[in-house]
Amino acid sequence: MSKPSDLVQGTLDMLLLKILALEPMNGFAVSQRLKQVSGDVLQVSDGSLYPALHKLEQEGWITAEWKTSEYGRRAKYYSLTRLGRRQLEKEADNWGRLSSAISRVIKLKEA
Amino acid sequence: MRPEHWMHTIPLRFRSLFHQTQTDQELEDELRDHLERQTEEYVAKGLSPKEARRMALVELGGVEQTKEKCRDARRVRWLQELAQDLRFGLRTLRKSPGFTAVAVLTLALGIGANTVIFSAVYAVLLKPLPFKGSDRLVFIKKKNPPRGWDRNPISPAEILAWRNQSGAFEDLAAYTQRTCVLTGAGEAEEDPCEVISSNLFPLLGVAPSRGRIFSADEDTLRGPRVAILSYGLWQRRFAADENVIGRAFDVNGDSYTVVGVMPSNFSHLYASPYGAPPELWLSGIGLSSTLVWNDYFGVGRLKPGINSQQAQAQMNIVSERIEQMYNDLKGWRAQLMTLRTNASGDSRPALFVLIGAVIFVLLVACANTANLLLARGSGRANEFAVRSALGADKSRIIRQLLTESLVLSLAGGVLGVLLASLGCKALVALAPPFLVKSTPGLAAGATDLRVLAFALVAVTTAAFFFGLAPALQSARPNVAETLNEAGRSALQSARSRRFRSALVVSEIALAMVLLIGAGLMVRTLARLSRVNLGFNPRNVLTLRVPLSGERYKEPQIRAQFWERVVSAVESFPGVEAASVSRGLPISGWDGQFFTILDDPNPPAGQVPAANYVVIGPHYFRAMEIPLRTGRSFNDQDTQSGERVVIVNEELARSYWPGQNPLGKQLRIGDQGPWRTVVGVAGDVLSQGPDGGFNPEMYIPYQQYPWLVEGPKHLVVRTSATVKPESVVRAVTQEIHRVDKNQPVADIATMEDIALEPIKQQRMVMALLTSFAGLALVLSALGIYGVLSYSIAQRTREIGLRLALGADRGSVLRLVVGTGVRLALLGIAAGTGVALALTRLMTDLLYGVRPADPVTFGVVTFVLAATSILACYIPARRATRVDPMVALRYE
Repeated sequence: MSKPSDLVQGTLDMLLLKILALEPMNGFAVSQRLKQVSGDVLQVSDGSLYPALHKLEQEGWITAEWKTSEYGRRAKYYSLTRLGRRQLEKEADNWGRLSSAISRVIKLKEA
Repeated sequence: MRPEHWMHTIPLRFRSLFHQTQTDQELEDELRDHLERQTEEYVAKGLSPKEARRMALVELGGVEQTKEKCRDARRVRWLQELAQDLRFGLRTLRKSPGFTAVAVLTLALGIGANTVIFSAVYAVLLKPLPFKGSDRLVFIKKKNPPRGWDRNPISPAEILAWRNQSGAFEDLAAYTQRTCVLTGAGEAEEDPCEVISSNLFPLLGVAPSRGRIFSADEDTLRGPRVAILSYGLWQRRFAADENVIGRAFDVNGDSYTVVGVMPSNFSHLYASPYGAPPELWLSGIGLSSTLVWNDYFGVGRLKPGINSQQAQAQMNIVSERIEQMYNDLKGWRAQLMTLRTNASGDSRPALFVLIGAVIFVLLVACANTANLLLARGSGRANEFAVRSALGADKSRIIRQLLTESLVLSLAGGVLGVLLASLGCKALVALAPPFLVKSTPGLAAGATDLRVLAFALVAVTTAAFFFGLAPALQSARPNVAETLNEAGRSALQSARSRRFRSALVVSEIALAMVLLIGAGLMVRTLARLSRVNLGFNPRNVLTLRVPLSGERYKEPQIRAQFWERVVSAVESFPGVEAASVSRGLPISGWDGQFFTILDDPNPPAGQVPAANYVVIGPHYFRAMEIPLRTGRSFNDQDTQSGERVVIVNEELARSYWPGQNPLGKQLRIGDQGPWRTVVGVAGDVLSQGPDGGFNPEMYIPYQQYPWLVEGPKHLVVRTSATVKPESVVRAVTQEIHRVDKNQPVADIATMEDIALEPIKQQRMVMALLTSFAGLALVLSALGIYGVLSYSIAQRTREIGLRLALGADRGSVLRLVVGTGVRLALLGIAAGTGVALALTRLMTDLLYGVRPADPVTFGVVTFVLAATSILACYIPARRATRVDPMVALRYE
């Protein structure tokens, strides 16, 4: 089997926004959560995760804060901004429309 | 959405830019934290710590690469790289101060010259005129094509007919120029002024800042006498009195009431080559449809949809109708000029030539700098090859080089603007006075925002052009080849050498064109200075005394005044002769119709006309105008004596061909007493060299028929050893001894006056010569640079030739031959371009054809000689190559 298909362009952004919408967390936790929820289907290397987070931060969709964690460790915590929430809604909408359209096409019966 | 977005992102960008170390540290911390946690995670899953760490690193995909990608996400990357490029550029430029100095200076001169010329051009040709809908405003004068007269003033009969019958105008206003002597508030002073029709200001769309304009009933001759002041006059003479409206003061002996003050920014529409801007405007123009008195000018506002050609055609129909009614209007047609043409006068061709010339200078400067940069670029081929090998991509190298040239051109631009403000002052000294008048900022060396904008555009264009060539050249090298051969291969630089040769050839061609232009102007000026003026301008002082006021309305009083002043001045030591006149040579033609007794009824439109000069007894002696035959005026030629006239040769030739003019009779206009010709004077240029000789008649001032305006110029010839300027004080004191209320104006030597009409050509010559000199030096530097470089490249080859037995002469010939070939190519190209372009200068030339073979010959010689000289130094160096050293070179 080929490598799990690449993420559709822009989908990673949406996933990250969604994960951070649940609760603020640091980069490592985001990485863990991503692996956890998607199983092995979506393989996002940590090498792409951090640039993506930084890009979202520069867009103003998420904001970062240095906090001391439960074990007394300092870590950079990301959380969603108002702009980010709006962006997430927009992208989720788009995704919903796109995926339902695609599944309708795929489910067409062959004559 | 957007503003909120910016609220978030702008501080982030600032942070990325200005707290780079901190953001980088945070990035480092974040990734380290991630690695630690991941490692712990794997250890918890049972991996050895070492293996766990390795896995974590692999997943992160290389710490440095990930960091780099995160930095890319910050979007300020390009700015940081720019800063880096700037720092690097400055460092490399500092390392080669000679190169930097030459390049910056070259650019500064190019940019400075462009800024100066464009300041002048902007002011004269481009600056928007301050009038409402100025594109529909036209100046109206008249021309007489059959007799070759143009730009003549018009008469009220024509003004009213054109306004009411042509159907071309929304409105048409008139004005007439006067000289006003103000008395009654402070010291007497003389100012240019105008009598205007009440609709002039509304037509232009301007209004007084205080008070009102004239009303229609004030347009009549006998109406109330009212005046509008210029802002300057109000400030100066009326001490900016807020209650000036309603104040009375005397103008030429009549009492006028102030009704308005124009605003300070009212830049006057007659800021033109002709006359100084007026200081006040008077009512009482008294236009009448039967008055044929050519002393007026018109300003019209065309109806929408009518262009000046259509207006011209419609006005011609009216002219054809009224010339049947008035003989004096026979053959005259309206002459329309846009405000712009009127304001720029004859300076347009000069300015266009100068624009062309400075653009050439800028091109030469750019070519030269490109050449310098290219030479450096080839020298740095290794550096670039190393950098590409280390992973720099081409666009990055090109950007680096463009940044370097941008730094150079900015430095050049800054220096250039400084030079420009000096240049503006120099231009003011050279420029004809009207040009200075219409560009007030020029004198202050002002570089206003528009000019700065221009310089900026010039600089960026320059940066683009001369940065591009070396950048493209440098970004192309085959890395492996360059590194392998370590620049040994001459083949690698063949293309670069060809390109640089092309640059040098174009520099020489451009220099050639500029030199030809300058040469033609030098020849023109030489011709102009040899023109026979008809009088001797050396050692002659002239002053103007208007003699206005109630007292001087009596001709006897005027005559007495002049007699006293002239006889006193003639007795001064160092003064050879003094006289008075109305009208001076060179400064204009005051045409007057006359009637000849032998042929009293010439066909309408062919009425004889001549320049009309009223003079005192010793005028011919003071001007050194030769008397060809007959006698000069003397003290017996008074009111009571026989009416006499002296004509010039041209008049005698035109109207009494082949006859003896002495004893012939004529009269001024078609009335008045007959005058007998008692002498024939030599021809004098009345309007400068272009005007040629025209018929002229001289009338003794005591027999002057119109008493309103008599002679007003005092002319004083000093002996050869006495400077005319040195008697100014004594003469002025003498005038004030006779009447202390007479202002003395326009103090000038005849030499200055004689230079006035050719001042424009002198300016063009001076500028073109300096531009051409600059281009010559730059292109010589260009040849020198190319040859030095190619010799440095071919040291080995030359060494080999010498080792194989070539004599030094043949090496010298080889090198000089290369240079001369470039020079000849440039000269050939330049000759072609010059032949095509100099035709555009025709209006500026005098006595020289645009394709003047002498100029082309001399310029070719100068350019060739300079080129050979520029070749000589590198060539000498080539002959001194030591074969042994050269062969061991690499």
